[in-house]
Amino acid sequence: MNSLLDFYRFVKDKDINIIYSGPIWSNGVEGIGDTLKRRLEFDDLPLPTSQAVFSVFVEQMNNMLMYSAEKFVAPAVMDEKQAATATGIFLLSCRGKQYFVQSGNVLRNDQVNIMKDKIDYLNTLDKQELRKFYKQKLREENDNPESRGGGIGLVEIAKRASSKIDYSFERYDDAHSFFTMSVTIE
Amino acid sequence: MLNRLEKEKTGSTPYILFDADQHYMKFAGESFHENVIEFYGEIDSNLGEYMATDFGKFTFDCELTYFNSSTAKLLLNMLLGMDDAIAGTDKEVIVNWITTEDNDIIIECGEDFEEEVENIQFNIIMK
Repeated sequence: MNSLLDFYRFVKDKDINIIYSGPIWSNGVEGIGDTLKRRLEFDDLPLPTSQAVFSVFVEQMNNMLMYSAEKFVAPAVMDEKQAATATGIFLLSCRGKQYFVQSGNVLRNDQVNIMKDKIDYLNTLDKQELRKFYKQKLREENDNPESRGGGIGLVEIAKRASSKIDYSFERYDDAHSFFTMSVTIE
Repeated sequence: MLNRLEKEKTGSTPYILFDADQHYMKFAGESFHENVIEFYGEIDSNLGEYMATDFGKFTFDCELTYFNSSTAKLLLNMLLGMDDAIAGTDKEVIVNWITTEDNDIIIECGEDFEEEVENIQFNIIMK
């Protein structure tokens, strides 16, 4: 891709409405989230739909913060708490009344099967089962104060998704894979 | 213990108020900051100390419009802490879970939390 025009045409052709690629940190999530909310206001959606899109975005960002193997360090603009920053890509595509919320990040190879197993399991559950499982996870995490709550975010994503969570792992380098998660909301 | 604690809302954290003299706590707005544990830490420890006192009746108005899964975990933890603190005592905790008819995420979570607590009077209120 040589020009921004080519890129623009590609993005337009794919119905991509928002792209973010780069560092991911708490305050950044707030900023991108604000853009996302304003974009959804255009479509005058029922609250459950816009909330579902937003919620999937928030949990995907959190997931990337926890699992992205690529860290971004910008000490000049961040205090110590914010220095733990991840890198990843986020896309929102809109096709009619369908929204595709996608996130991508580099993952250590030893995390691949763990992530895959978690999503595969969630994909076997229906909405009622997901609700029960979410509650069960919340309680389990309460009994384990050290936990950073990594599993719950994925359950929340599965609860909000209109179909199964779609994912792929592609080779990135010898030690890493690129993890793509695609969630459809109608 | 601080008797009064108040924080204005930001883009990813809600308005929070804890007032021991008024026996009252309120959360309002959105809560999706990645580090919720740190954000709620101070109020959580104050609430813990307050719960050990002989307070009589305490009201918590929860008017969050959206929260992430880390906040859900923290809220449940807070509710279970209060629920345990009043078990077998004549102390009362009233939680008003205030939301709107179309807020699926909040309603669903409220219903789930209501099932988890035994001693708290948990009211789901549609505005």
